[in-house]
Amino acid sequence: MTEEELRVGVYVCHCGTNIAGVVDVDAVVEYAASLPNVVHATKNMYMCSLPAQSGIKEDIKKHSLNRVVVASCTPKMHEPTFRAAVQAGGLNPFLYEQANIREHCAWVHADQPERATEKAKDLVRMAVAKARLLSPLNPKKIAVIRSALVVGGGPAGLRSAADLASRGFEVSLIEKSHFLGGNAVRSASLPFTDQTPREAAAVLTDALEDEKNISVHTGYEAESLNGYLGNFTISLVKKPRFVKECSNCGRCIAVCPVETDNEFDYGLSMRKAIYMPYDSAYPNYPAIDMSVCKKCGECVNACAESAIDLEAEDEKLDLSVGAVVIATGAKNYTPKDGEFGWGKSDRVLSLPVLERVLDKTGPTKGRLKGKVENVVFIGCVGSRQKKTSEEEKVNEYCSRICCTESVKNAIHIKDRHPDAGVFYLFRDIRTYGRDEYLYREALEKGVVFIQFEGDVPPEVNVLKKGAKVVVSDVLSRESFEIPASHVVLATGFEPGADADKVLEVFKLNRSADGFFQEAHIKLRPLETSTEGVFIAGACQAPKNLVESIASGSAAAAKAAVPLSMGEVELDPAKAMVTEFCDGCAICIDPCLGKAITLVEYEKDGELKKTVEVNEALCKGCGVCMATCPKKGIDVRHFTLDQLQAMVDAALET
Amino acid sequence: MTQKKALVIGGGIAGMQASLDLADQGIKVYLVERNPSIGGNMAKLDKTFPTLDCAACIITPKLVDTGGHKNIELLTYSEVQNITGEAGAFKVKVLKKARFVDIDKCTGCAACTQVCVLKNKILDEHNEGMGKRGAAYIPFPQAVPLKATIDPEHCLFLTKGKCTMKCVEACGPGAIDHEQKPEEVTLAVGSIIVATGFKLEDPAKKPEYGYGVYDNVITSLQIERLLSPSGPTGGEVKRPSDGEHPKKVAFLQCVCSRDLNTNIYCSRYCCMQAIKEAILLKEHNPDVEVTIFYIDIRAFGKGYEELYNRAKDEFGVNFVKGRIAEIHEKDDKSLVTIGEDIVGGGVVESKVDLVVLSVGVAPVPLPEGIGIEIPVWRDNFYRAKNQYVDAVTTDIPGVFVAGCAESPKDIPDSVTQGSAAAMRASILLEEK
Repeated sequence: MTEEELRVGVYVCHCGTNIAGVVDVDAVVEYAASLPNVVHATKNMYMCSLPAQSGIKEDIKKHSLNRVVVASCTPKMHEPTFRAAVQAGGLNPFLYEQANIREHCAWVHADQPERATEKAKDLVRMAVAKARLLSPLNPKKIAVIRSALVVGGGPAGLRSAADLASRGFEVSLIEKSHFLGGNAVRSASLPFTDQTPREAAAVLTDALEDEKNISVHTGYEAESLNGYLGNFTISLVKKPRFVKECSNCGRCIAVCPVETDNEFDYGLSMRKAIYMPYDSAYPNYPAIDMSVCKKCGECVNACAESAIDLEAEDEKLDLSVGAVVIATGAKNYTPKDGEFGWGKSDRVLSLPVLERVLDKTGPTKGRLKGKVENVVFIGCVGSRQKKTSEEEKVNEYCSRICCTESVKNAIHIKDRHPDAGVFYLFRDIRTYGRDEYLYREALEKGVVFIQFEGDVPPEVNVLKKGAKVVVSDVLSRESFEIPASHVVLATGFEPGADADKVLEVFKLNRSADGFFQEAHIKLRPLETSTEGVFIAGACQAPKNLVESIASGSAAAAKAAVPLSMGEVELDPAKAMVTEFCDGCAICIDPCLGKAITLVEYEKDGELKKTVEVNEALCKGCGVCMATCPKKGIDVRHFTLDQLQAMVDAALET
Repeated sequence: MTQKKALVIGGGIAGMQASLDLADQGIKVYLVERNPSIGGNMAKLDKTFPTLDCAACIITPKLVDTGGHKNIELLTYSEVQNITGEAGAFKVKVLKKARFVDIDKCTGCAACTQVCVLKNKILDEHNEGMGKRGAAYIPFPQAVPLKATIDPEHCLFLTKGKCTMKCVEACGPGAIDHEQKPEEVTLAVGSIIVATGFKLEDPAKKPEYGYGVYDNVITSLQIERLLSPSGPTGGEVKRPSDGEHPKKVAFLQCVCSRDLNTNIYCSRYCCMQAIKEAILLKEHNPDVEVTIFYIDIRAFGKGYEELYNRAKDEFGVNFVKGRIAEIHEKDDKSLVTIGEDIVGGGVVESKVDLVVLSVGVAPVPLPEGIGIEIPVWRDNFYRAKNQYVDAVTTDIPGVFVAGCAESPKDIPDSVTQGSAAAMRASILLEEK
């Protein structure tokens, strides 16, 4: 570095009363002005306000500043803001350093204002010490592959894929089962419309058909993800379908001798080993379930199109994409054996099973089994659970959509059986927003709502036909016994069955509730901790169809940003190898991003070793720097010298 | 030829998110906001559920990004007057109301606001009337753009022609211009996102609660301003009648929501807002007794039930199931709430120092006769053409809806829908 005179400007933020209510801002400014190389120190009510940013810009010129320190909030919040301001002032944006005196001083030491002020001074001194050693850095730009992978063929994934394709990007949609549509297409109806979920899904699959630049891969699962935002490579494995695209004439299904439970109908109907889950399923040709197929060959003989290959094997496919949308959904909570009579009688149904039963095109043609006298819904099964011991794993969360689904179905049953009693035993009715109209309709139609307390749940005593349900009513403070012909458990949702694998492959985290964690629960609900990997639909949290659809489009928007720009900037804070590296390779194993490789080279006729860093893979975490015994690798913007200067400054008094 | 430009109407969190997601894709955006600053209702909040991080802290980066984005042109203090044309080629007339301040010259120094003779005399909208401002004002310190506005309804010079005009004197850059005229601009855009948000329903529609009559009956947004460190009381909750710190506070849920006489729909976020406000009151002073009167607690979003449980178990907030039927004011301005306790049984009467009404929300429609009429649901919020396949596209080609304009929503759902609307709008704009 040339021996230019260091001229540091320090800015201390009041953050309204957030900082100034505790920390003596004037004292910090005065102290900052006394530090070596600080030529300008001032304060502002809100440093992030546009005028304060313009102030930095002007001061850089006026005071010939070549380093800037802002003492304010966490750099996670406003480092980009102030880097931009520094850049607007004509300096390299990395000649900027931030001291967090809000979270680290004012907020955590609110009851000790004097010591908080002293700590703020310490942090400013450390920041100035680092600022003196900062070097200009220039982010590398890397090209983005203008295509996306969407994982999951439910409504959120379908919407995302269709949107990205219509926006002009190449899209690969993978779905682990052999048919698209997810859980939504198993429902009988939707609120406020005669449209069925299957008709809605067909609109989306039609949209896929219309798009030239979309490829649909059913039966595929992702095995591994490598690379980084803009340049991912994904290895996929396909479980064979054993049937090529055909005219779906149905002869193979007709001749297949094997019958088994149709899981699409929760075992309420049977299907063949070669099957369609339902007539209009997409893609519209059969698949073979090899776990039950006897390989008798009847289907092969019956097929006039030679579409069936019983010996088909797993296939592998590698894709290169710029961004990924994960929409792997959630699964229905399955009650424990005996929980509210579950598994003891075919008159005790869960909400998803009821959807199949009420589907007029479904296994029972829309009819409940037996005489419909009293149908009793029980709310919050598998949701809003309380721990009885520390070790117990419970679903504390509310599953969001079960109240509306129950009320919707209660209305259907009441409409079809006006003389039957329909009861909803609930803890709170959560028909939020517009769904309140459904609740109102149910009340008007005579559905009886009975509230119970969470710790006094109803009892279900299964009888030969139906059950006796005992509920402690909050309103009358009396116990009622309802002779139920049918009991419906309003079961909630849990993270999808393959959530663990998806999390591992795509390097995502779980929230406390087990669902996939977003980058910020309010403002970044679609982004994740892996840059370029976005989440949509119920894998993030239970959602109704409208909300899943919205998040599908929204995740597409997030993916569309890097894809449309065609390049992304890499943070320059990456590991760099120094002249001291002798290729001892200690850093290679600990590297979290697998970014370091050992290389050999010749110097003065001698074979030497060193390491190389793939900057796109490097996360700048510094593990290599900490491991290296000889200063052979250093992380830019967090160099050993810079950190040493901060530590020295911290220990000064 | 499709105009590769979009119009976003409304600068709340949904409108900002939609603007940013379009602009980040390289699409030019005009963001029209009728208030002097973008930020919407979220900018008024103290903290946000379920994580209780401060609203100003998380919204300022969005405000700054939106205000400083090279592809976003802000038209604040402006209103859409007329829309003609069709998808891909709309012509939109926008009225830029006279701010009486030249925003190119104004530095946001706030000197004019300090010397205005009406300083601290006019009820301040940003503080929901809990604080006062002058005729020359900046709505809040992190406002974007950070520019002064002179309120023509109150400014003495503009209303009566007589004033000492200290603002003009105080303004260094000479930005104040009492002669400024409104300006009409015409924008050519390919698609339009309507994110006009919500307003609180008028709590006077429930006269039994005495809002506007009893000093110490306030709304859920008003208490946000009292809780906020940047609010009119510096974050001290003081009851309006005497400035005393309330020791007993009652929250009334579903005021003008789930109600046959006002609005049938549920306003969706108010249960969690009340729970959050109750926790914040307890954090300010653990000895405050807080009771939430509710019909059902609707803690349905991610992390919401968990926060509800914390409110009960960790913070000791009382929850009473039942609607309050009426409120009476005592001589000392404290209040007596009378209502049913459905769980405990019987009528309960309690004397409290402050009542907070969790007032439901109503849509803020575009002005009538504007040239487009977006179909609405029976609740009068805008409806998507077929929400089960596309949550944001309306019946009018090229027009999309996001945020509370479509239905009441919390922040995550508004942000998501803002992004979704941007996606659908961008597809139209990028079509050849």
